[in-house]
Amino acid sequence: MSEVSEERREARPGAGSSPGGGSTLGMKVENLSAFYGSFKAVTDVSMDIQANKVTALIGPSGCGKSTYIRCLNRMHEVIPGARAEGSVALGQQDIYAKDSDPVVIRRRVGMVFQKPNPFSKSIYDNVAWGAKINGFRGDLDELVERSLRQAALWDEVKDRLKESGYSLSGGQQQRLCIARTLAVEPEVILMDEPASALDPVSTQKIEDTMAELKKSYTVVIVTHNMQQAARISDFTGFFYIVNMGDPGRLWEFDDTEKIFSNPERKETEDYVTGRFG
Amino acid sequence: MPRESFQQELDSLVGEVLDLGREVGASLENMVKAMETGDAELASRELGVDLRYKARGAEVDRDSMILQARQAPVAGDLRLLYTVQSVTNHLVRSGALSEHICHALAETAGAERDEDLEAALVEMARTARNIFNEGLDIFEHRDIDRARDLQAKDDKVDLLYSEAMNLIANPSDSGAGAPEWRMRAALMVHYLERIADHGVDIGGSTVFLVTGQRIEDAMRQYLERDINRDD
Repeated sequence: MSEVSEERREARPGAGSSPGGGSTLGMKVENLSAFYGSFKAVTDVSMDIQANKVTALIGPSGCGKSTYIRCLNRMHEVIPGARAEGSVALGQQDIYAKDSDPVVIRRRVGMVFQKPNPFSKSIYDNVAWGAKINGFRGDLDELVERSLRQAALWDEVKDRLKESGYSLSGGQQQRLCIARTLAVEPEVILMDEPASALDPVSTQKIEDTMAELKKSYTVVIVTHNMQQAARISDFTGFFYIVNMGDPGRLWEFDDTEKIFSNPERKETEDYVTGRFG
Repeated sequence: MPRESFQQELDSLVGEVLDLGREVGASLENMVKAMETGDAELASRELGVDLRYKARGAEVDRDSMILQARQAPVAGDLRLLYTVQSVTNHLVRSGALSEHICHALAETAGAERDEDLEAALVEMARTARNIFNEGLDIFEHRDIDRARDLQAKDDKVDLLYSEAMNLIANPSDSGAGAPEWRMRAALMVHYLERIADHGVDIGGSTVFLVTGQRIEDAMRQYLERDINRDD
């Protein structure tokens, strides 16, 4: 069950403008449940993900945040036995419709993971690779520079583009992965604890990057760092499990300002104030 | 419960504020007694409390800032720290106004008074003291239903304010009192009206603490709900 203010309910995911070119889309999730075999991990989530906004997902470990976010670009179903029910619309397109190609969906809804995972290729090729295999026919140099600039990494790597991606620091590698995601020109970027393995300075750079990214993309981030959610997001969803073994639920979803100043539900208050458990 | 030490620090801070409130309340009690009995000596004993209250208020502000810096409070914790600082400001200001009144009482001891005006002042002082004490009690017990009634009680102070000002502008035939006393009485009327307002605001701050709503919004919702019910 989600708790959303009236204003929030009235807002619908729509198209936003994108300085990079095309339009940016929001997502509309309705009654989404996720399974691992017969085990229901997430149940009945409905959420409007606004275009050109950062939506943060918080909650205790094991409450289904990562499972949920992986349903937003059909990554969940790559795990044997895993499946999702309900509907997820990217703009007007149901991403689970029979004619939706999961590969195309994953290009349009990119993902950045907890640990930086660059390819064992040069910095340049890390960024260019996805675009190349997707048939990109434009100016590759321009695409690589634009993507690295959007990921706030260009100034640090512009003179060493041929070096291995592994030569970068952890924080730089994560921003390289963000640049790699941006290079295939997605509309939505999903981030699953993108800064949890990084030092505070690198974390700050990722957060600054996200503030810029939302001007051109729709961003959804899973984080265990509640201050990070409070700092960077426009909307926050709190996931919660009532009893051990139950599926995770979207317990409260509202403006970030509301969640961190005056949440509606006691469990949300207990969690954000650290009284949980 | 997790964050036990943080909770203890919050409880301790609230305890500091309540202690300060009780001391200011004691000052107001002395002010009322000095006014009722014409006891200039009692009024004189209150001189200097203002500085002490300001120092205590600064300590609360400092402790609150340190907690914000170290504990990154959100939601109810954040509202509590915000409210603690707001309430402290009302307490310190009330203490300062009480001292100003005691100063006026001490300096005009023995001066000829207008009996009607003096009676209005005493009634106003008692009412302002009661509102202050009730505001503090509402904060201590988070009893926000009473906060909604406090505004109505403040209306009595506003009526007494008008009555006193009318007597100052239009002295009775029985005797206008010494000019210096009349001038000081005008200031005391104003100070008492402010003390009552601080009491009301402490109640209003408690509404925000408990509900996250400004009392004006809460009152509006309450009134709108009643209108709908009448329909």
